[in-house]
Amino acid sequence: MRAGARALLRQAVPSPRRGAPGVAAGILQAVSTVALLACSAYLITRASEQPPVLYLSMAVVGVRAFALAKAVFRYLERYASHDAVFRQLSDIRVGVLARLIPLAPDGLSRSRRGSVLSAVVDDVDDMQNVWLRARLPLLTSAGVSLASVVFVAFFSVPAAVWLLVSLVLCVVVSVALSSAVAARSDRELSPRRARLADAAIDYVQSLDVLTAYGALPAAQERIHAADAELTRAQRARAVAESSVSALNGLFAGAASLGALVLAAPALGITLSGPMLAVVVLVPLAVFEVVASLPLALASRRSVRASAERIAATIPDERPPEIPADSEPRQGEPSPLPATGPAALTLSDLRVRWPGAASATIDGLDLDVRPGERVWLDGESGSGKTTLAHTLVRFLGYEGSARLGGHELSALPTRTVREHIGLIEQTPYLFNDTIRQNLLFARDTADGEELEHALQLVGLGDWLAERGGLDARVGERGALVSGGQAQRIALARALLHEFPILVLDEPTANVDQQHAESLLTELLGAAARGGRTVILISHDDVPEHLVDRRLRMASGRLAAR
Amino acid sequence: MRPLDPRLLRYAAGARWFFAAGAVLAALQTVLTIAFAWSLSQAIVGVVEGRSLAELRTEILVFAGTTIARLVVTWASGSVSIRGAARVKSELRSRLYRAIGRLGPAWSAGRSSAGLTVLGTRGLDALDDYFGKYLPQLILTVIATPVIVAVMFWQDVLSGVFVVVTLPLIPVFMVLIGWATQSVQRQQWDTLSELSGNYLDVLGGLSTLKSFGRAERQLTRIRVVTERYRVATMKVLRTTFLSGFALELGASLSVALVAVGVGMRLVAGDIGFGPALFVLLLAPEAFLPLRNVGTNFHAAAEGVTASEDVFAILDEAADAADATATAVHPGGGPSSAATAPAGLEFHDVGVSYDGTTVLSGVSARFAPGRVGVLTGPSGSGKSSLISTLLGTVAHDGVLTLDGSPLPSGPGERPWLAWSGQRPGLISGTVADNVSLGEASVDPDRLTRALALAQLDGWDADRECGVAGSLLSGGQAQRVAVARAFYRALRPETRVLVLDEPSSALDHETERRLAASITELAAGGLVVIVASHRRRLRDIADVELALTPAVAKR
Repeated sequence: MRAGARALLRQAVPSPRRGAPGVAAGILQAVSTVALLACSAYLITRASEQPPVLYLSMAVVGVRAFALAKAVFRYLERYASHDAVFRQLSDIRVGVLARLIPLAPDGLSRSRRGSVLSAVVDDVDDMQNVWLRARLPLLTSAGVSLASVVFVAFFSVPAAVWLLVSLVLCVVVSVALSSAVAARSDRELSPRRARLADAAIDYVQSLDVLTAYGALPAAQERIHAADAELTRAQRARAVAESSVSALNGLFAGAASLGALVLAAPALGITLSGPMLAVVVLVPLAVFEVVASLPLALASRRSVRASAERIAATIPDERPPEIPADSEPRQGEPSPLPATGPAALTLSDLRVRWPGAASATIDGLDLDVRPGERVWLDGESGSGKTTLAHTLVRFLGYEGSARLGGHELSALPTRTVREHIGLIEQTPYLFNDTIRQNLLFARDTADGEELEHALQLVGLGDWLAERGGLDARVGERGALVSGGQAQRIALARALLHEFPILVLDEPTANVDQQHAESLLTELLGAAARGGRTVILISHDDVPEHLVDRRLRMASGRLAAR
Repeated sequence: MRPLDPRLLRYAAGARWFFAAGAVLAALQTVLTIAFAWSLSQAIVGVVEGRSLAELRTEILVFAGTTIARLVVTWASGSVSIRGAARVKSELRSRLYRAIGRLGPAWSAGRSSAGLTVLGTRGLDALDDYFGKYLPQLILTVIATPVIVAVMFWQDVLSGVFVVVTLPLIPVFMVLIGWATQSVQRQQWDTLSELSGNYLDVLGGLSTLKSFGRAERQLTRIRVVTERYRVATMKVLRTTFLSGFALELGASLSVALVAVGVGMRLVAGDIGFGPALFVLLLAPEAFLPLRNVGTNFHAAAEGVTASEDVFAILDEAADAADATATAVHPGGGPSSAATAPAGLEFHDVGVSYDGTTVLSGVSARFAPGRVGVLTGPSGSGKSSLISTLLGTVAHDGVLTLDGSPLPSGPGERPWLAWSGQRPGLISGTVADNVSLGEASVDPDRLTRALALAQLDGWDADRECGVAGSLLSGGQAQRVAVARAFYRALRPETRVLVLDEPSSALDHETERRLAASITELAAGGLVVIVASHRRRLRDIADVELALTPAVAKR
């Protein structure tokens, strides 16, 4: 198990002070369950001896009290343990975020980053089960088992020993059986699940192609085969789990029968009739509580897998390809010009993604003069986005990249990112109002300044239409179009006053028909005030909008 | 949530088997539960009343026997649940994907593909809990509870009456509390999903936040927000846990009252010791299945929701199949193939979706050996016109190839090679993708197709990944175009259709691709390219400009 995963699991367990109320309530609830049966059995057996009713009043009160206590303590257990866990969850969320910040965005697993993040969020939520479903039931079972064995020992030592032996045997066999099966199924289950999901994705996403090429039956057959394999693995695992449940009943019966046989000789000597009934029936109630064991073990495996997945997405160490974030020293003036852009000089630039076998940018030479508008063309995959990420220090580099004569790697990352701004292909809009989506670029800006920035990018009318700055943009900007998202992102960048702006494929998610007018307006707004603009695009860019056009191929500049 | 959807039995034969086997096992379980309680109570009563263990041999043997038999039956009913769930899941899964295939790409285009994928994989997996935890308890409630109550009546009428009166109170209370807390529960669900959404929002926007120097501040913000949600959630949970409380209290208090009642009548001599202890052990068993149904209700609901979504799609596919079976395609249109000019013709073709006309009255002819380019703003129906060739949309008017009318309805078209706006690649090698739908690969044709699609020198054994995820956008697009070219190089192919084949390519590659298209057309193919890019419009022998039709029917 990775160190990171172990740390997460530790973090998910409340401190003894926070966890204790839940554990106490849990054990008291379980004890009440056992005591209810014990008290009822005592009451009935004692009643059969037909004593004066007065002698039974304690037992009658006990039966009613334990029935009530069972429900009350169950409620308290759930309440206290959820409260404790939610406090832990806050630590975990913050902890995971703190570890993500230095790595994001390029230090995370590269394939399908979006879905990886949503999986991380699900897995972080799953961490609450470390305590609720795995540890707490185990502690409760252990507590009630111990209490019951001690209680039985007061009346019959052999029966208590037999109960202890049955409990230990039951736990040992359950754990051995379920972990033996889990070891195999964990190996098989997740690759098979992935294979089925892959086959389903291929099928659904390429349905038109498969239909047109007559490949539908073959694709259905692939899903069917993946399903059959997954089902086999799932079935093997589930059969083992149900065997563990079934074993509980066997041990419960054996414990009661053993108690009867072992305690019977003491009847009338050290043991009264009612207490004999209690000693024989207590094991049944204890095993009823311990029946939660298989579920707790399964939960334990599942939360460990979740922790492993989180740890796998977030490497323990920052990969060498990702630069460490750094702030300028307090009071130290920036070496870059206070107004206007600095010159950018790249020579023999080489950039590699974490875990990649070869460099994506391999020997790039490029000079960009202050205030110049450069268009970088090239097929997707040629290294254009990689260059953009290198310039804002999301990715490290070899060779030389100078900004105003200073090597980027020698400047604090904060200083570089204050100077060079990036508008990504799919700009991220937060699920909040338009105002909040602009305000974090400059939190001193008032409403008028924000509206002015939106007017600059051609969103004046749109803003009025949407009812002003307090209109929401929806989840991941679902309520705005691709072009509007680009414009909002540009307004954000203008507010922040980056001297150099990199626009990465601004027309990628925009209707081709509107691409040209969007480019014209974006470039017009971006280049205001002598800003340097690097436009990355493989779309048609009207030549008069740019000073220079360059083409990238296989990680370097190519002849046009 | 309905306790049981009748469509489950209709669509999944595995479910019918599950219910039959489950009912038999539930009956066995009921008998064993009664035998267990009876033998244990008789053994205890015997010992307390002073009989020796040897005298109680029968009771002890019955008890040991039922314990072992219970092991077997519990295990068997577990396996029945698992097998039932597995069979039903597999059946629904393959029916679902067959149905999606039958409904076709036009239908699936209107759906989230991620949603359909999750529905068929993780969504259906949620049926495990439904079959494993919920349904067996439901069957037990139907079979075991009445029998156990009847036995209690027989042993002690008053206890029987008491159970009959209190038993229905449990579901009634649950429903009442459920109603009372429904809005609170919805609020809790919303709170939790908002919290996750908020966190995901911060994680997703990290690169933006870093770019603006705002990432570190999120640490405090997330802590504050999480804490605020914890306080709100705990307030809600206080109410939500009430339904569990009622369930627990109802069952345990009923057992307690049975015990006290029996105890008092035992003192009075109105009931024997044996029946009294037997009734005490039976009482919880009468409540247990119903309690379990209540506890597992929520776990089961997820699987039921997924299966209802699947049923809705299966129903839709069944309706669609009926509709196509009854609709007779008019075989009319221009005939006398001998005199008709060669090429592909559209006669007054129109397409509408849900009453909105996207294309109407399009008539055009595309001759062999010529490149036709479709232009027009998005929404003008370029892709819809292409879909009429593929048969994925219903259309008015007639399409003819060399004078013979073309069939409508989805299915393979041997005369057509096509690549769409999305690459539509699947897991496997480049060669697998390019030769899609053919039993074997023709190496010469493969080399030629790759070269024409500007993939010369590519390793045909290179893996493309799920949905082409191992390739960049430009590479995936060229593989998709190579697939169309590979098919276009077959002798029986007459028409090549490319929808935006260069949207992810740079200008140089685009120019060379245009040359390949001209070369293929020169071989005698009808070529139709939908694009607005200059370099592709330059090679057009004929240009068909579509204008948006916004007329509502």
